[in-house]
Amino acid sequence: MDFYQFGLLITLICVLISFFALFREKDDIHKILIVDLIETVGLVIVCLVATDLAEALVLPGLVVGLSELLMLTELYIRKENLPLPVVKPIKIEVMRMAPPIIATVLVIYGIILSGFTGGAVAGLGLVFFFLSKGYEERFVLLETLSGYAWAIWILGFFIFMIIPQAWLLAVMLSGGAILLKVTTKMALIGTMREGQDV
Amino acid sequence: MFNLPIEGEQLLVLEFGDIVNYFSLYTATLFLFAATFIIIAVIAKPERQTDIVFGTDTVFTKEIDPEKLRFQRFMAIACGLATLGAVSSGDLFNFTLFTALIGITNIGIVAGVNNRYVLNAAYNYGIVAMTATVFLFGGAAMALGTCGTLSIWELAGKGLVPLGSKVFLVLGVMGEGMAPFYIAKAEITRAPGAPYVLMIHVSSLLIFLRVIEIILTV
Repeated sequence: MDFYQFGLLITLICVLISFFALFREKDDIHKILIVDLIETVGLVIVCLVATDLAEALVLPGLVVGLSELLMLTELYIRKENLPLPVVKPIKIEVMRMAPPIIATVLVIYGIILSGFTGGAVAGLGLVFFFLSKGYEERFVLLETLSGYAWAIWILGFFIFMIIPQAWLLAVMLSGGAILLKVTTKMALIGTMREGQDV
Repeated sequence: MFNLPIEGEQLLVLEFGDIVNYFSLYTATLFLFAATFIIIAVIAKPERQTDIVFGTDTVFTKEIDPEKLRFQRFMAIACGLATLGAVSSGDLFNFTLFTALIGITNIGIVAGVNNRYVLNAAYNYGIVAMTATVFLFGGAAMALGTCGTLSIWELAGKGLVPLGSKVFLVLGVMGEGMAPFYIAKAEITRAPGAPYVLMIHVSSLLIFLRVIEIILTV
Protein backbone atom coordinates (compact mmCIF):
# COMPACT_ATOMS: atom_id res chain seq x y z
CA MET A 1 0.00 0.00 0.00
CA ASP A 2 1.61 3.26 -1.12
CA PHE A 3 1.19 6.70 0.39
CA TYR A 4 -1.70 7.74 -1.90
CA GLN A 5 -3.78 4.69 -1.12
CA PHE A 6 -3.15 5.06 2.59
CA GLY A 7 -4.27 8.70 2.47
CA LEU A 8 -7.31 7.74 0.42
CA LEU A 9 -8.29 5.14 3.01
CA ILE A 10 -8.01 7.67 5.84
CA THR A 11 -10.06 10.23 3.85
CA LEU A 12 -12.78 7.69 3.09
CA ILE A 13 -13.00 6.90 6.80
CA CYS A 14 -13.44 10.66 7.41
CA VAL A 15 -16.21 10.73 4.76
CA LEU A 16 -17.92 7.82 6.51
CA ILE A 17 -17.73 9.56 9.90
CA SER A 18 -19.19 12.80 8.51
CA PHE A 19 -21.98 10.87 6.73
CA PHE A 20 -22.79 9.15 10.00
CA ALA A 21 -23.02 12.59 11.64
CA LEU A 22 -25.39 13.76 8.87
CA PHE A 23 -27.67 10.77 9.32
CA ARG A 24 -27.88 11.34 13.08
CA GLU A 25 -28.55 15.08 12.83
CA LYS A 26 -32.21 16.09 12.79
CA ASP A 27 -31.98 19.89 13.00
CA ASP A 28 -32.03 21.61 9.61
CA ILE A 29 -29.53 24.37 10.28
CA HIS A 30 -27.01 21.95 11.79
CA LYS A 31 -27.40 19.81 8.69
CA ILE A 32 -26.08 22.72 6.61
CA LEU A 33 -22.96 22.89 8.78
CA ILE A 34 -22.33 19.15 8.56
CA VAL A 35 -22.86 19.18 4.79
CA ASP A 36 -20.20 21.90 4.56
CA LEU A 37 -17.88 19.62 6.53
CA ILE A 38 -18.59 16.79 4.07
CA GLU A 39 -17.76 19.09 1.14
CA THR A 40 -14.42 19.93 2.71
CA VAL A 41 -13.57 16.26 3.19
CA GLY A 42 -14.54 15.70 -0.46
CA LEU A 43 -12.01 18.32 -1.52
CA VAL A 44 -9.35 16.40 0.41
CA ILE A 45 -9.84 13.46 -2.00
CA VAL A 46 -8.97 15.81 -4.88
CA CYS A 47 -6.02 17.30 -2.97
CA LEU A 48 -4.57 13.83 -2.31
CA VAL A 49 -3.63 13.44 -5.99
CA ALA A 50 -1.13 16.29 -5.45
CA THR A 51 -0.29 17.22 -9.04
CA ASP A 52 -0.62 20.55 -10.86
CA LEU A 53 -3.83 19.35 -12.49
CA ALA A 54 -5.31 18.39 -9.12
CA GLU A 55 -4.46 21.85 -7.84
CA ALA A 56 -6.40 23.30 -10.77
CA LEU A 57 -9.37 21.07 -9.89
CA VAL A 58 -9.58 22.14 -6.25
CA LEU A 59 -10.67 25.68 -7.14
CA PRO A 60 -13.77 24.75 -9.22
CA GLY A 61 -14.63 22.15 -6.58
CA LEU A 62 -14.46 24.79 -3.89
CA VAL A 63 -16.53 27.25 -5.96
CA VAL A 64 -19.24 24.65 -6.59
CA GLY A 65 -19.30 23.77 -2.90
CA LEU A 66 -19.57 27.41 -1.85
CA SER A 67 -22.34 28.19 -4.34
CA GLU A 68 -24.33 25.17 -3.17
CA LEU A 69 -23.84 26.25 0.43
CA LEU A 70 -25.06 29.79 -0.38
CA MET A 71 -28.04 28.37 -2.22
CA LEU A 72 -28.98 26.07 0.67
CA THR A 73 -28.78 28.88 3.21
CA GLU A 74 -30.92 31.16 1.01
CA LEU A 75 -33.41 28.34 0.68
CA TYR A 76 -33.40 27.85 4.46
CA ILE A 77 -34.11 31.56 5.01
CA ARG A 78 -37.03 31.44 2.52
CA LYS A 79 -38.32 28.17 3.95
CA GLU A 80 -38.41 29.35 7.55
CA ASN A 81 -39.59 32.89 6.60
CA LEU A 82 -36.71 34.37 8.56
CA PRO A 83 -36.51 38.18 8.51
CA LEU A 84 -33.41 39.60 6.85
CA PRO A 85 -31.13 41.26 9.40
CA VAL A 86 -30.93 45.05 9.26
CA VAL A 87 -27.28 46.09 9.18
CA LYS A 88 -26.27 49.62 10.05
CA PRO A 89 -23.58 51.00 7.74
CA ILE A 90 -20.21 51.11 9.41
CA LYS A 91 -19.14 54.64 10.22
CA ILE A 92 -15.39 54.37 10.21
CA GLU A 93 -12.83 56.87 9.12
CA VAL A 94 -11.06 54.33 6.86
CA MET A 95 -13.92 54.21 4.33
CA ARG A 96 -13.79 58.01 4.04
CA MET A 97 -10.04 58.29 3.70
CA ALA A 98 -8.98 55.07 1.96
CA PRO A 99 -10.15 55.60 -1.67
CA PRO A 100 -8.11 58.73 -2.49
CA ILE A 101 -5.01 57.31 -0.79
CA ILE A 102 -5.22 53.92 -2.55
CA ALA A 103 -5.98 55.62 -5.89
CA THR A 104 -3.00 57.99 -5.57
CA VAL A 105 -0.64 55.16 -4.63
CA LEU A 106 -1.86 53.08 -7.57
CA VAL A 107 -1.50 55.95 -10.08
CA ILE A 108 2.04 56.76 -8.92
CA TYR A 109 3.01 53.08 -8.97
CA GLY A 110 1.50 52.79 -12.48
CA ILE A 111 3.54 55.74 -13.77
CA ILE A 112 6.72 54.19 -12.35
CA LEU A 113 5.94 50.82 -13.94
CA SER A 114 4.98 52.37 -17.34
CA GLY A 115 3.94 50.37 -20.37
CA PHE A 116 0.96 48.02 -20.52
CA THR A 117 1.15 46.93 -16.89
CA GLY A 118 1.63 50.49 -15.67
CA GLY A 119 -1.37 51.69 -17.66
CA ALA A 120 -3.41 48.91 -16.17
CA VAL A 121 -2.40 49.76 -12.62
CA ALA A 122 -2.92 53.51 -13.09
CA GLY A 123 -6.28 53.01 -14.80
CA LEU A 124 -7.28 50.70 -12.02
CA GLY A 125 -6.46 53.35 -9.45
CA LEU A 126 -8.42 56.03 -11.32
CA VAL A 127 -11.49 53.92 -11.92
CA PHE A 128 -11.40 52.74 -8.33
CA PHE A 129 -11.36 56.35 -7.18
CA PHE A 130 -14.16 57.52 -9.48
CA LEU A 131 -16.37 54.57 -8.71
CA SER A 132 -15.90 54.81 -4.98
CA LYS A 133 -16.25 58.61 -4.81
CA GLY A 134 -18.91 58.86 -7.53
CA TYR A 135 -22.38 60.26 -7.09
CA GLU A 136 -24.25 57.01 -7.25
CA GLU A 137 -23.56 53.32 -7.01
CA ARG A 138 -24.43 51.60 -10.24
CA PHE A 139 -24.19 47.93 -9.43
CA VAL A 140 -26.03 46.92 -12.60
CA LEU A 141 -23.42 48.64 -14.74
CA LEU A 142 -20.59 46.98 -12.82
CA GLU A 143 -22.20 43.55 -13.07
CA THR A 144 -22.87 43.93 -16.81
CA LEU A 145 -19.31 45.10 -17.45
CA SER A 146 -17.93 42.24 -15.38
CA GLY A 147 -20.06 39.71 -17.27
CA TYR A 148 -18.95 40.97 -20.70
CA ALA A 149 -15.31 41.01 -19.54
CA TRP A 150 -15.65 37.41 -18.43
CA ALA A 151 -17.12 36.39 -21.80
CA ILE A 152 -14.34 38.16 -23.71
CA TRP A 153 -11.74 36.49 -21.51
CA ILE A 154 -13.16 33.05 -22.31
CA LEU A 155 -13.29 34.02 -26.00
CA GLY A 156 -9.57 34.80 -25.81
CA PHE A 157 -8.93 31.30 -24.44
CA PHE A 158 -10.93 29.72 -27.24
CA ILE A 159 -8.91 31.64 -29.83
CA PHE A 160 -5.74 30.27 -28.20
CA MET A 161 -7.06 26.73 -28.50
CA ILE A 162 -8.64 26.82 -31.95
CA ILE A 163 -6.57 29.33 -33.98
CA PRO A 164 -3.16 29.53 -32.24
CA GLN A 165 -1.84 31.73 -35.11
CA ALA A 166 -3.95 34.64 -33.83
CA TRP A 167 -2.22 34.56 -30.44
CA LEU A 168 -1.69 38.33 -30.35
CA LEU A 169 -5.43 38.99 -30.67
CA ALA A 170 -6.10 36.39 -27.97
CA VAL A 171 -3.55 37.95 -25.59
CA MET A 172 -4.97 41.43 -26.15
CA LEU A 173 -8.57 40.26 -25.69
CA SER A 174 -7.89 38.34 -22.50
CA GLY A 175 -5.52 41.01 -21.19
CA GLY A 176 -8.06 43.80 -21.68
CA ALA A 177 -10.89 41.70 -20.33
CA ILE A 178 -9.01 40.66 -17.21
CA LEU A 179 -8.16 44.33 -16.59
CA LEU A 180 -11.87 45.21 -16.78
CA LYS A 181 -12.81 42.27 -14.60
CA VAL A 182 -10.28 43.09 -11.90
CA THR A 183 -11.20 46.77 -12.07
CA THR A 184 -14.87 46.10 -11.49
CA LYS A 185 -14.01 43.75 -8.65
CA MET A 186 -11.81 46.46 -7.12
CA ALA A 187 -14.52 49.07 -7.64
CA LEU A 188 -16.91 47.00 -5.54
CA ILE A 189 -14.69 47.73 -2.55
CA GLY A 190 -15.50 51.40 -3.02
CA THR A 191 -19.24 50.74 -2.80
CA MET A 192 -19.30 49.27 0.66
CA ARG A 193 -21.10 52.22 2.23
CA GLU A 194 -24.46 50.84 1.11
CA GLY A 195 -25.41 53.83 -1.00
CA GLN A 196 -25.17 56.33 1.85
CA ASP A 197 -23.30 59.63 1.63
CA VAL A 198 -21.29 58.53 -1.38
CA MET B 1 -15.57 4.79 -32.57
CA PHE B 2 -13.56 3.21 -29.71
CA ASN B 3 -14.51 -0.31 -30.93
CA LEU B 4 -17.03 -0.49 -28.13
CA PRO B 5 -20.65 -1.57 -28.62
CA ILE B 6 -22.15 1.54 -26.98
CA GLU B 7 -20.69 4.42 -28.96
CA GLY B 8 -21.87 4.21 -32.55
CA GLU B 9 -20.33 6.29 -35.31
CA GLN B 10 -17.86 9.10 -34.74
CA LEU B 11 -19.43 12.38 -35.83
CA LEU B 12 -17.24 15.26 -34.64
CA VAL B 13 -13.95 15.63 -32.80
CA LEU B 14 -12.65 18.88 -31.31
CA GLU B 15 -9.21 18.78 -29.70
CA PHE B 16 -8.20 20.98 -26.77
CA GLY B 17 -4.77 19.60 -25.97
CA ASP B 18 -5.22 16.13 -24.48
CA ILE B 19 -8.87 16.83 -23.69
CA VAL B 20 -10.84 15.85 -26.75
CA ASN B 21 -14.49 16.83 -27.02
CA TYR B 22 -16.24 14.35 -29.26
CA PHE B 23 -19.68 13.54 -30.54
CA SER B 24 -20.56 9.94 -31.12
CA LEU B 25 -23.96 8.89 -32.41
CA TYR B 26 -24.95 8.24 -28.77
CA THR B 27 -23.91 11.60 -27.28
CA ALA B 28 -25.19 13.50 -30.32
CA THR B 29 -28.62 11.98 -29.75
CA LEU B 30 -28.55 13.05 -26.10
CA PHE B 31 -27.37 16.53 -27.16
CA LEU B 32 -30.23 16.98 -29.64
CA PHE B 33 -32.74 15.77 -27.03
CA ALA B 34 -31.53 18.38 -24.52
CA ALA B 35 -31.45 21.10 -27.20
CA THR B 36 -35.09 20.35 -28.09
CA PHE B 37 -36.16 20.84 -24.50
CA ILE B 38 -34.22 24.10 -24.22
CA ILE B 39 -36.17 25.41 -27.21
CA ILE B 40 -39.40 24.28 -25.53
CA ALA B 41 -38.40 26.13 -22.33
CA VAL B 42 -37.59 29.26 -24.37
CA ILE B 43 -40.86 29.41 -26.31
CA ALA B 44 -43.31 27.86 -23.82
CA LYS B 45 -45.73 30.04 -21.89
CA PRO B 46 -46.50 29.05 -18.29
CA GLU B 47 -49.25 26.52 -17.92
CA ARG B 48 -52.59 27.77 -16.60
CA GLN B 49 -54.04 25.27 -14.21
CA THR B 50 -57.69 24.76 -13.49
CA ASP B 51 -59.15 24.51 -10.00
CA ILE B 52 -62.41 22.69 -9.42
CA VAL B 53 -64.52 23.90 -6.52
CA PHE B 54 -65.35 20.84 -4.46
CA GLY B 55 -68.97 19.71 -4.63
CA THR B 56 -69.96 21.97 -7.53
CA ASP B 57 -69.43 22.13 -11.28
CA THR B 58 -67.51 25.43 -11.09
CA VAL B 59 -64.06 25.50 -12.68
CA PHE B 60 -61.55 28.31 -12.31
CA THR B 61 -58.59 28.96 -14.56
CA LYS B 62 -55.66 30.47 -12.69
CA GLU B 63 -54.13 33.62 -14.14
CA ILE B 64 -50.34 33.28 -14.08
CA ASP B 65 -48.20 36.27 -14.92
CA PRO B 66 -45.20 35.26 -17.06
CA GLU B 67 -43.13 37.95 -15.30
CA LYS B 68 -43.39 36.00 -12.03
CA LEU B 69 -41.87 32.93 -13.62
CA ARG B 70 -38.90 34.69 -15.23
CA PHE B 71 -36.48 33.28 -12.67
CA GLN B 72 -37.74 29.73 -13.09
CA ARG B 73 -37.52 30.07 -16.83
CA PHE B 74 -33.96 31.38 -16.67
CA MET B 75 -32.99 28.50 -14.39
CA ALA B 76 -34.67 25.99 -16.71
CA ILE B 77 -32.67 27.30 -19.66
CA ALA B 78 -29.47 27.31 -17.59
CA CYS B 79 -30.20 23.74 -16.54
CA GLY B 80 -30.61 22.80 -20.21
CA LEU B 81 -27.29 24.41 -21.09
CA ALA B 82 -25.56 22.57 -18.23
CA THR B 83 -27.07 19.34 -19.55
CA LEU B 84 -25.68 20.11 -23.02
CA GLY B 85 -22.27 20.55 -21.41
CA ALA B 86 -22.54 17.32 -19.42
CA VAL B 87 -23.50 15.17 -22.40
CA SER B 88 -20.87 16.60 -24.76
CA SER B 89 -17.88 16.93 -22.40
CA GLY B 90 -14.83 14.81 -23.13
CA ASP B 91 -13.31 15.26 -19.69
CA LEU B 92 -14.29 13.40 -16.53
CA PHE B 93 -13.93 16.42 -14.26
CA ASN B 94 -15.87 18.72 -16.62
CA PHE B 95 -18.63 16.14 -16.60
CA THR B 96 -18.76 16.18 -12.80
CA LEU B 97 -18.75 19.99 -12.72
CA PHE B 98 -21.62 20.21 -15.21
CA THR B 99 -23.52 17.60 -13.22
CA ALA B 100 -23.07 19.65 -10.04
CA LEU B 101 -24.30 22.70 -11.97
CA ILE B 102 -27.40 20.75 -13.00
CA GLY B 103 -28.05 20.10 -9.30
CA ILE B 104 -27.78 23.81 -8.48
CA THR B 105 -30.07 24.91 -11.33
CA ASN B 106 -32.60 22.18 -10.44
CA ILE B 107 -32.95 23.71 -7.00
CA GLY B 108 -33.27 27.13 -8.66
CA ILE B 109 -36.21 25.89 -10.73
CA VAL B 110 -37.96 24.47 -7.68
CA ALA B 111 -37.16 27.34 -5.31
CA GLY B 112 -39.17 29.73 -7.50
CA VAL B 113 -42.34 28.20 -6.06
CA ASN B 114 -43.36 29.96 -2.86
CA ASN B 115 -44.80 27.02 -0.98
CA ARG B 116 -43.49 25.63 2.29
CA TYR B 117 -43.74 21.97 1.30
CA VAL B 118 -42.07 22.58 -2.03
CA LEU B 119 -39.27 24.56 -0.40
CA ASN B 120 -38.81 21.80 2.18
CA ALA B 121 -38.47 19.20 -0.56
CA ALA B 122 -36.00 21.46 -2.40
CA TYR B 123 -33.98 21.84 0.81
CA ASN B 124 -33.75 18.09 1.32
CA TYR B 125 -32.76 17.61 -2.31
CA GLY B 126 -30.12 20.31 -1.85
CA ILE B 127 -28.53 18.37 0.99
CA VAL B 128 -28.51 15.18 -1.08
CA ALA B 129 -27.05 17.04 -4.07
CA MET B 130 -24.31 18.59 -1.92
CA THR B 131 -23.25 15.27 -0.45
CA ALA B 132 -23.31 13.81 -3.97
CA THR B 133 -20.62 16.26 -5.11
CA VAL B 134 -18.20 14.45 -2.77
CA PHE B 135 -18.70 11.24 -4.75
CA LEU B 136 -18.58 13.06 -8.09
CA PHE B 137 -15.32 14.90 -7.41
CA GLY B 138 -13.94 11.90 -5.51
CA GLY B 139 -14.62 9.60 -8.46
CA ALA B 140 -12.95 11.95 -10.93
CA ALA B 141 -10.00 12.55 -8.58
CA MET B 142 -9.46 8.82 -8.02
CA ALA B 143 -9.46 8.28 -11.80
CA LEU B 144 -6.88 11.06 -12.11
CA GLY B 145 -4.79 9.60 -9.28
CA THR B 146 -4.59 6.12 -10.80
CA CYS B 147 -4.49 6.92 -14.55
CA GLY B 148 -2.79 10.33 -14.64
CA THR B 149 -5.33 11.80 -17.07
CA LEU B 150 -8.98 12.80 -17.10
CA SER B 151 -9.50 12.64 -20.85
CA ILE B 152 -12.19 10.13 -21.79
CA TRP B 153 -10.64 9.99 -25.29
CA GLU B 154 -7.32 8.70 -23.88
CA LEU B 155 -8.88 6.36 -21.32
CA ALA B 156 -11.43 4.85 -23.72
CA GLY B 157 -11.35 1.10 -24.11
CA LYS B 158 -8.31 0.60 -21.85
CA GLY B 159 -10.18 -0.30 -18.66
CA LEU B 160 -7.66 1.56 -16.51
CA VAL B 161 -10.16 3.43 -14.32
CA PRO B 162 -10.63 1.50 -11.05
CA LEU B 163 -13.99 0.09 -10.11
CA GLY B 164 -14.18 2.30 -7.00
CA SER B 165 -13.96 5.42 -9.13
CA LYS B 166 -16.77 4.20 -11.39
CA VAL B 167 -18.93 3.36 -8.38
CA PHE B 168 -18.30 6.85 -6.99
CA LEU B 169 -19.27 8.50 -10.29
CA VAL B 170 -22.54 6.54 -10.47
CA LEU B 171 -23.34 7.31 -6.81
CA GLY B 172 -22.70 11.00 -7.43
CA VAL B 173 -24.96 11.10 -10.48
CA MET B 174 -27.62 9.23 -8.51
CA GLY B 175 -27.52 11.96 -5.88
CA GLU B 176 -27.71 14.80 -8.39
CA GLY B 177 -30.30 13.05 -10.52
CA MET B 178 -32.54 12.42 -7.51
CA ALA B 179 -34.60 15.57 -8.19
CA PRO B 180 -37.62 13.92 -9.91
CA PHE B 181 -38.29 11.89 -6.76
CA TYR B 182 -38.53 15.06 -4.69
CA ILE B 183 -40.75 16.60 -7.36
CA ALA B 184 -43.13 13.69 -7.08
CA LYS B 185 -42.99 13.96 -3.29
CA ALA B 186 -43.89 17.66 -3.22
CA GLU B 187 -46.27 17.46 -6.21
CA ILE B 188 -44.47 20.34 -7.88
CA THR B 189 -45.95 19.35 -11.23
CA ARG B 190 -49.22 20.81 -9.88
CA ALA B 191 -47.62 24.08 -8.77
CA PRO B 192 -47.41 27.08 -11.13
CA GLY B 193 -44.62 26.95 -13.68
CA ALA B 194 -45.23 23.39 -14.78
CA PRO B 195 -43.51 23.51 -18.21
CA TYR B 196 -40.19 24.52 -16.68
CA VAL B 197 -40.24 21.63 -14.23
CA LEU B 198 -39.91 19.32 -17.26
CA MET B 199 -36.28 20.33 -17.56
CA ILE B 200 -35.50 18.65 -14.22
CA HIS B 201 -36.71 15.29 -15.53
CA VAL B 202 -34.90 15.74 -18.83
CA SER B 203 -31.57 16.66 -17.22
CA SER B 204 -31.82 13.81 -14.72
CA LEU B 205 -32.51 11.28 -17.48
CA LEU B 206 -29.70 12.56 -19.68
CA ILE B 207 -26.98 12.58 -17.00
CA PHE B 208 -27.89 9.00 -16.09
CA LEU B 209 -27.59 7.96 -19.74
CA ARG B 210 -24.30 9.80 -20.09
CA VAL B 211 -22.70 8.35 -16.94
CA ILE B 212 -23.61 4.86 -18.14
CA GLU B 213 -21.80 5.62 -21.41
CA ILE B 214 -18.78 6.94 -19.51
CA ILE B 215 -18.38 4.00 -17.16
CA LEU B 216 -18.77 1.52 -20.02
CA THR B 217 -16.18 3.43 -22.09
CA VAL B 218 -13.36 4.18 -19.64
